[in-house]
Amino acid sequence: MSKPNRNIRNFCIIAHIDHGKSTLADRLMEQTGQVSSRDMENQLLDSMDIERERGITIKLTPVRMFYTAKDGQEYVLNLIDTPGHVDFTYEVSRSLAACEGAILIVDASQGVEAQTLANVYLALENNLEIIPVINKIDLPSARPDEAKQEIEDVIGLDASQAPLVSAKEGIGIQDVLEAVVHNFPAPDGDPDAPLKALIFDSYYDNYKGVILFVRVKDGKVCVGDKIKTFRSEKVYDVVEAGVFSPGLVPKDGLYAGEVGYIAASIKSILDVAVGDTVINADQPADEPLPGYKKVQSVVFCGIYPLDGSRFNDLKEAIMKLQLNDASLIFEPDNSVALGFGFRCGFLGLLHMEIIQERIEREFGLEIITTAPSVSYKVVKTDGEILYVDNPSHLPPQSEIEHMEEPIVKADIYSPPDYLGQIMDLCREKRGTFLQMTYLDKSRVQLEYDLPLNEIIFDFFDGIKSRTRGYASFDYELKGYEKSKLVKLDILLNGEVCDALSMIVHEDSAYNRGRLLCENLKEAIPRQLFEVPVQAAIGGKIIARETVKAVRKDVLAKCYGGDITRKKKLLEKQKEGKKRMRSIGSVEVPSEVFMQILKTNKD
Amino acid sequence: MAGIYVHIPFCKSKCSYCDFTSYPDKLCYAEGYMACVYREMAKRSKELKSYKFDTLYIGGGTPSVIDEKYIAMLIASAKKNFNLAPDAEITIEMNPGTVSESKIRAYKKCGINRFSVGLQTAVDSQLSDLGRVHDLKDFIGCAKLLKGENFSADVMIGLKNQTVGDIEKTIQTASDNGALHISMYALTPEDGTPVYTDYLNGELPDGDEVAQMYGAGVEKLASLGFERYEVSNFCKDGKKSRHNLNYWRRGEYIGFGVSASSCINNVRFTNTFDLDEYFKCILSDCFAVIDSEEIDREGQEEEYIMLRLRTSDGIDLNEFKKLFGCEFTEKYSVQINKLKDSLDRGSDSIKIKDEFLFVQNSIIVEFFN
Repeated sequence: MSKPNRNIRNFCIIAHIDHGKSTLADRLMEQTGQVSSRDMENQLLDSMDIERERGITIKLTPVRMFYTAKDGQEYVLNLIDTPGHVDFTYEVSRSLAACEGAILIVDASQGVEAQTLANVYLALENNLEIIPVINKIDLPSARPDEAKQEIEDVIGLDASQAPLVSAKEGIGIQDVLEAVVHNFPAPDGDPDAPLKALIFDSYYDNYKGVILFVRVKDGKVCVGDKIKTFRSEKVYDVVEAGVFSPGLVPKDGLYAGEVGYIAASIKSILDVAVGDTVINADQPADEPLPGYKKVQSVVFCGIYPLDGSRFNDLKEAIMKLQLNDASLIFEPDNSVALGFGFRCGFLGLLHMEIIQERIEREFGLEIITTAPSVSYKVVKTDGEILYVDNPSHLPPQSEIEHMEEPIVKADIYSPPDYLGQIMDLCREKRGTFLQMTYLDKSRVQLEYDLPLNEIIFDFFDGIKSRTRGYASFDYELKGYEKSKLVKLDILLNGEVCDALSMIVHEDSAYNRGRLLCENLKEAIPRQLFEVPVQAAIGGKIIARETVKAVRKDVLAKCYGGDITRKKKLLEKQKEGKKRMRSIGSVEVPSEVFMQILKTNKD
Repeated sequence: MAGIYVHIPFCKSKCSYCDFTSYPDKLCYAEGYMACVYREMAKRSKELKSYKFDTLYIGGGTPSVIDEKYIAMLIASAKKNFNLAPDAEITIEMNPGTVSESKIRAYKKCGINRFSVGLQTAVDSQLSDLGRVHDLKDFIGCAKLLKGENFSADVMIGLKNQTVGDIEKTIQTASDNGALHISMYALTPEDGTPVYTDYLNGELPDGDEVAQMYGAGVEKLASLGFERYEVSNFCKDGKKSRHNLNYWRRGEYIGFGVSASSCINNVRFTNTFDLDEYFKCILSDCFAVIDSEEIDREGQEEEYIMLRLRTSDGIDLNEFKKLFGCEFTEKYSVQINKLKDSLDRGSDSIKIKDEFLFVQNSIIVEFFN
């Protein structure tokens, strides 16, 4: 049995959000001559506009570099950049499975943060070698020794050899590269065995079809080979195979241990799933590589095209996004108020926002989204158990024995000064205090059980504003708990508007209903008749506002010269009506649905 | 039936709501301008030979500000160049501050048989806010001179500091002084006028208040025997403005002078709004049209509905079928059903109910494609 190339290192960088992952990646590429500093653009791997604007990494991005180490040998370094935000844990776990090592960045002034820990555990689960790196040592507030100590105390890693780096200033980059070469193992796997390659990402290219991002574990894949995936019977001819540099650079093939891409004229985006194993069709391996866990959606919302006739465009957009982001799940949905659309599941609120933004930007579609919801467990009187994330699918109150809502265990890290405010917020959000730990003199960890449906509204904003941005917060799903939940309906002119229904806790139903009515009263344009706006729980009205009838809507004078002008004016008015949705006899601008959802605060 | 419109773009001073083409400082050009208008008429004469005109409307600006001899020559020129019916309605707009006994005598002598007087409001402080050159006394004097004539008074609602009582008083004054026709307009604050600043500063009554004023005005007019035949137009003894009715019936009309609009053979066109350019065009023996648009069948239908629904007669179902070859009630059954609360459906007509006339845009727009 021969060994794959001993000089390959596959690794990723993990860190808490904003600890400088993308900047370090930029520096590594610059140092290895992958990109000249003249062409250097900040955050090179964050190629999506959204990523650069928000300064975050959403997608994992692979890149290949060559490095001649101090031992005189040339190494191939495959770096896979990963997202840091909690919502994108799934993306991180995918990239980890394609690597042997992980660089763990810790901010020299902030120390170990919530997401640092979460990612370290993921890396350990995947049996990765970890090199801690202390970044941002140029900052006046840097305290590298304390950070090292924290790594040893909190994570239990030996940090004595951790390179001290300033990615921004380009300090210590060589130390990192040397550590990569010497500390990370070369990939194992058998180059002569039948092909096994893990699909860790994919996207759709208009010319080449589906592009698979793979890590070849065993064997090789060359242009002209016939391949198939483990789960699908369809056979494809490899048209192109290559590496990331950081753009796609074709080669003759990919060999065991390498990270690269395959294009095989795969037209249907449904035929390939991230996590599946690519095998050779003529010489198939008999076992797949371990794939990924199926993702668990946490937040749900409806997505509808603003222009109802563009449903098919939306469908295609969502399908293409899913190819690129396997954590997005969706199913067709139909709303009386909004027409045909999709019910989508997301890993978290940020994930939801990003997907919405990508649909609008990358596909030029205007969309309406409904209020985010979570998945509730409904125990019916006949003993049947349902999981409901769409309020309009809730069975009638009389058939419900009780309902349970998802609870998360939330870890909030904050300077001690803001404890009072954080505890107030958690209390308002129906939180249950678990415990408080002083990590050191300047940082406290608070643990709470919180209902997820409280978090998806404005909890994150609340934490940030009440602690001036000092606190950070992370959560994990804990399970379901019995809760007094009710369905809050909004009626316009006596008719229920399904797109505005929501499931809320009984105690906050009255306030939410009143607030929604007030907001709607402002947002709905006046019609020819008076429109009552009501909030109701199970047929009982709990709040009411009235949109008064329009009383003046006329062009006073209409003589010879005014006719064309008046017609243009009416055409414009008509154009505005096209953006409206009819709920019974009431016309509601599509924007209302979003405005209402956005101002949905207590 | 067809109409002639002539625009006289001169006035004594610019009113604070005015965004029409009018020049308060160019009265000295009146002679030359009128010469151009006569020439423009002569130039159109041939192509409109087959047309019979039964109304002539002289608007502005303030037509009464120029010497009456130009008006007499204008009417003579219209008669010379076009087939103007002997019983044609000939209207002139007047500002009460620019008239005299001799002027009115001259108007009558040359065939003018309808007078439209810009009263606007009977409250002097509001007149001065509007920048009008007259006061209530001037109007009463003017009305005296027009005693026994078919005259109309313009009344504005939605003015700064105006009350419902002010409107009732204004209408009463117009009626008491012999007006047989009243046009009651809501002030429209156009961008670029001084009134627009008031609007931006929230000093004008809001839509609901204007609607209330309108309602009170309609009631007052009805109590005095004025019948509403269009959203903003009311008359006694059947003295409707024939010229304006022609617009609302989608009739044809030819306009002369700066900024004048025309609609002939389903082509709508408009003259330049620039006085100098108008001079240049006419003097170089060209027309001064800057905009021209042919109205297709769909557009004609939309215009017909839009204009007809302004009037108290509404849409004539037989005429609609004759013009557009289909039943209105079939083609628009969805809209008619949706709007059933605001429409009055007779056997040969469909019109907007009185109480919904002031929100007609929302209704008409439903019939647009």
